[in-house]
Amino acid sequence: MKWLLLCLIGGFVAAGSIFVLNSARVYALDENNCLVCHGNPEMTKINGDGKKISLYVNSEAVNTASHRFINCTTCHPSYTVIPHRVDTPLTKLSLAEKCGSCHQYEYKLHRESIHGQQLANGNLDVATCVDCHSPTGNPHSVIRVLEYNAPTYKKNIAQTCAGCHNDASLMANYGIVEKVYESYMRSFHGKAMKLGTYEITQLDKATCTNCHGVHDIKSANDPNSPVAGLDNLAKTCEQCHAGAGIEFARGFLGHREASPDNIPVAHYTEILFRLLLTSVLSFGAVVVIMAIYRFSADRWRV
Amino acid sequence: MATRAETVYAGLVPEDTIARFDVHQIIQHIGLMVSFVLLVITGIPLKFHDWAISQAWIGMWGGIEVTRSIHYFGAWLMVGVGFYHLYYLWYSTAILKKPFPIKMIPSLSDFIKLFQELGYYVGLRKEMPRYDRFNWKEKFDYWALFWGVPVMAVSGFILMFPVFATRFLPGWVVPTALVAHSDEAMLALTWIVMVHIFFNHFTPGVFPMNTSIFTGRVPRERYRRDHPLEYDRLMGIPEVVDDEADNEGIDEKNDEGADETGQGNN
Repeated sequence: MKWLLLCLIGGFVAAGSIFVLNSARVYALDENNCLVCHGNPEMTKINGDGKKISLYVNSEAVNTASHRFINCTTCHPSYTVIPHRVDTPLTKLSLAEKCGSCHQYEYKLHRESIHGQQLANGNLDVATCVDCHSPTGNPHSVIRVLEYNAPTYKKNIAQTCAGCHNDASLMANYGIVEKVYESYMRSFHGKAMKLGTYEITQLDKATCTNCHGVHDIKSANDPNSPVAGLDNLAKTCEQCHAGAGIEFARGFLGHREASPDNIPVAHYTEILFRLLLTSVLSFGAVVVIMAIYRFSADRWRV
Repeated sequence: MATRAETVYAGLVPEDTIARFDVHQIIQHIGLMVSFVLLVITGIPLKFHDWAISQAWIGMWGGIEVTRSIHYFGAWLMVGVGFYHLYYLWYSTAILKKPFPIKMIPSLSDFIKLFQELGYYVGLRKEMPRYDRFNWKEKFDYWALFWGVPVMAVSGFILMFPVFATRFLPGWVVPTALVAHSDEAMLALTWIVMVHIFFNHFTPGVFPMNTSIFTGRVPRERYRRDHPLEYDRLMGIPEVVDDEADNEGIDEKNDEGADETGQGNN
């Protein structure tokens, strides 16, 4: 009995220690101790325009970010001497170039994409690196693509794109009137993605980037886009649907609902079935309600 | 005069039940029921994909790949049952030379009896209409399958093999099949739950469950109550002419073919 008790206590201690020891935290590489000052949430400065801006770097986010083993000075090179130079921080416009100093291939593709072209024109609406790669839009918390909580993880991509592309007023500026996010989520691809798990095996399901491209994403009106025209679209379908042809691509509703102009047969079939459904089920409901009334009344009288 | 129920089953079965379904009909119903349930539990979450419970439910089965496989299995099972029924129908009429199951064919009397039944429910009539072997609800269920199973099978086949289908058919068949499949499924499910389950299991006298489709046998008293015309014929009681209902469903074969007509229907 004593031994059993001892074993039990020992077991608890062992389990507890494993639990505590396992929760050891990961720390970002911070060779110049930047976080000593910048890890303080209170740290601010008044910039040239007289505006108060925060200089705080969330160490929690940095510790789990994909770049946690890269020194701060890799991206902020002018700050190697202390007290360091006060330099203009990275802006949305200059960020891609900074990321591109390492990620050259992606930078090149992005520059040629519709987002990159617009960015080069000084348009601040468009997506640049961190808008898709960081959950908070903060360059310090960029997460690797295959981590389940990354905005670029397969299951999360549609929501990431929806951040801008589900904003009807923003999209109206660019003539994108289709409810792309909603129609995707309604489609088989969206349902499979939504109902699928977070497992890595879910990578074979199609989301925005499978058809539209990733860093090299193009406007759907661009003739070089993988979704422009039935020929390109069929080739894109064929990447997953082996043997898909033009007719297969023609069955795509194009992010719109079926209507007299858009696959009219599907539209009229829907109306037909709605009528059938409503009439048959109303009839059934009436009969059942009348029967329930009679059976209850009989029961009540007895 | 010895009736079918008395001669065929004398001493073999409890006397207070009457055979209504043969073993093929029982198997077909079980196959249909199992496949229907499998199809519903794996198909409904797709229709209501944005409900949290759908995601939890699919996760419970191990993900959408698993429920998709179950759905395919249920689909082939249901198609198999359909062909089984057609073969059974052909075999029993063409080979076994049983009379064609004419009592399942809808007639004017079904409409009359429908209104009589509704009249009974609201208190305009004292009694339920006197039904023959199949009442209008049973006929409706049966013929709904003749419409529903082909719709579901064809549209489901297109959705299962969209690339193959569009090799021969125009592209619009795929979105059209999806619409048809989804709406027809809702129609079938709602009808089964609301009408079929209610009238066959939840009505007085059969609650909580009517086991006749599984045992093939119906208690004598319930048979007399629910299918009085058929019951009287089985028992050799002279036919009471119903003044309001048109009994055209009863054909002249009854005298010599009562034992077959009882078997040849579903």
